Amino acid sequence: MVEPTVPVKKDGKGHIIDKRAGKMTSLIANKKVLSLNLFAWLFLAPYLLFYSWFMLYPIIKGFIISLYQWTIGNERTYVGLGNYQAIFKDGFFWEALGNTVYFVVISTPALVIAGILLALIVNSRLKGTGFLRSAFFLPHILSISVISSIWVFVLQPYTGLMNSVLKTLGVTQEIFWLDSANLAWLSILLATIWWTVGFNMVLFLAGLQEIPDDLYEAARIDGANSWHCFRYITLPSLKGVILLVVVLQSIASFKLFGQSYLMTNGGPGTSTRTLVQYIYETGFRTNEMGLASAMSYVLFLVMVLFAIIQFKFMAKKD
Amino acid sequence: MNAVRPRVTLGRILLYIFSYSFVLIWLIPMLWMVITAIKPDGSPVTVLTELIKPPFTMDNYQYVSENASIWRWTWNSVYIAVVTTALTLLLTSMAAFALSRIPFKGSKLVFWIIIAGLMVPTEATIIPLFLMMVDSGLVNSYSSIIFPSIAAPLGVLILKQFYDGIPKELVEAAEMDGASKLRIWWSIFLPLSRSSMAALGIFTFISSWNNFLWPFLAISDEKMMTLPIGIPLFQSGYAAELTIPMAANMLASLPALLVFILFQKHIIKGITMTGIK
Repeated sequence: MVEPTVPVKKDGKGHIIDKRAGKMTSLIANKKVLSLNLFAWLFLAPYLLFYSWFMLYPIIKGFIISLYQWTIGNERTYVGLGNYQAIFKDGFFWEALGNTVYFVVISTPALVIAGILLALIVNSRLKGTGFLRSAFFLPHILSISVISSIWVFVLQPYTGLMNSVLKTLGVTQEIFWLDSANLAWLSILLATIWWTVGFNMVLFLAGLQEIPDDLYEAARIDGANSWHCFRYITLPSLKGVILLVVVLQSIASFKLFGQSYLMTNGGPGTSTRTLVQYIYETGFRTNEMGLASAMSYVLFLVMVLFAIIQFKFMAKKD
Repeated sequence: MNAVRPRVTLGRILLYIFSYSFVLIWLIPMLWMVITAIKPDGSPVTVLTELIKPPFTMDNYQYVSENASIWRWTWNSVYIAVVTTALTLLLTSMAAFALSRIPFKGSKLVFWIIIAGLMVPTEATIIPLFLMMVDSGLVNSYSSIIFPSIAAPLGVLILKQFYDGIPKELVEAAEMDGASKLRIWWSIFLPLSRSSMAALGIFTFISSWNNFLWPFLAISDEKMMTLPIGIPLFQSGYAAELTIPMAANMLASLPALLVFILFQKHIIKGITMTGIK
């Protein structure tokens, strides 16, 4: 790189601001800026290609599709906002949205509390801490298909593990876990906790390890018991992580598909059918791509709302 | 670590009993999978005394590997996960380097457009994505699964944050010595960001490995399926007996278990760093 012979000052962005530098320097500077621009775009191009092709374009195309009556065979009729009107009048859409929100509401507190509990166990300096941590995290690496299959077998009436354990504990009647709406939700919730809580535990564990020990020692000297320590030191210190996990968990739960699809197929009836499953069925089974796309947009807007909350809170953390 | 060792009290003993009984219950579904997979067809699988007693057999495994395309699905899953991870690391690190270290017009705008993509879940774009794949003839191909995953912006964000922290002096010294931008990226930024790259790589690999919804839609050809899509298809033929499906579950989980055992520390560190599901 050729350096200007006249001493120059640069402002924050590297532009030359010394007028004495003259014509020669500004030419060199221009050339440098140009080649930097070119370089930057060359570095960005491969990623941006995929990003615009598979992220930006689908968002735009999705909106366009949602304005049409559109089938996979590419027959289409422009219907304006008709699809949106249709879904707002569709009882099944509201049911699916309701189911999804219901799962967010039951699963988020459960997964936050369970995550804190496991993190506390792993963080209490027992012998074999590494084993405990790995064991709690282990289900997270299995795929959703394996998790669902295991739980369907565990919960199966007559031949399942759950009922036979309950029988030895004195429950005489056979429980049909996946055949009533409430129990089906409970089953999906159990499987989800087992599958994903290890992730939350790791986040809480990191939070716990940032709390200085002196805080606890000082509190102990002042005569605080374990509950006091938890209530007045641990919980307030974890506030940031708890917020983060609540937001992440709400987003993940809102996208529920695999567990409920594989374990109950939305049943009994349509009582555990989630929004994502309804979008899938509308688009791919009844071949109403336009309608399904409009639903996706509603899902998308809800997710953006969640994300804005997340960004706001993350910005605060920094 | 704390220098003060916890005293042995009744509370601690109870905590030990509680924690270890709980972890035992926690692992039961998995242990049950391990054992039922090696029990002969039709043996009682809910009675503990029967479960831990022989006969044991490898027949279920043999049956699965002969009657399901499980090795093909495993290969598909591995191939897709490896290529997705490699491309994600390469492309996002190049993009992050440009955004972090090369001043150019519109740099901020490009960054924000990419970051906005974090808000878009795949679940919301399945319809247009599918129609695009149909139009371009990519349905039932590896590319149809790999390409949309590479567009994920998380890597750009993580690596840019890391690159922003690399001291200016290091770059200036290299520039003095006449190193090009390409050289600086390759010989300074890539080696320095090894741990961030490892975290991002493992995260990408696991997400790809467990990806369910999109491959489920984009792949209908049995030969092109990944494990999460193929396994339920295979199992749908076995409602009552569970020894064979459990063997399939085991085979589908072995590669992930291996990765977990090898990279446990990195995985857990990666979650703490990225904090994204």
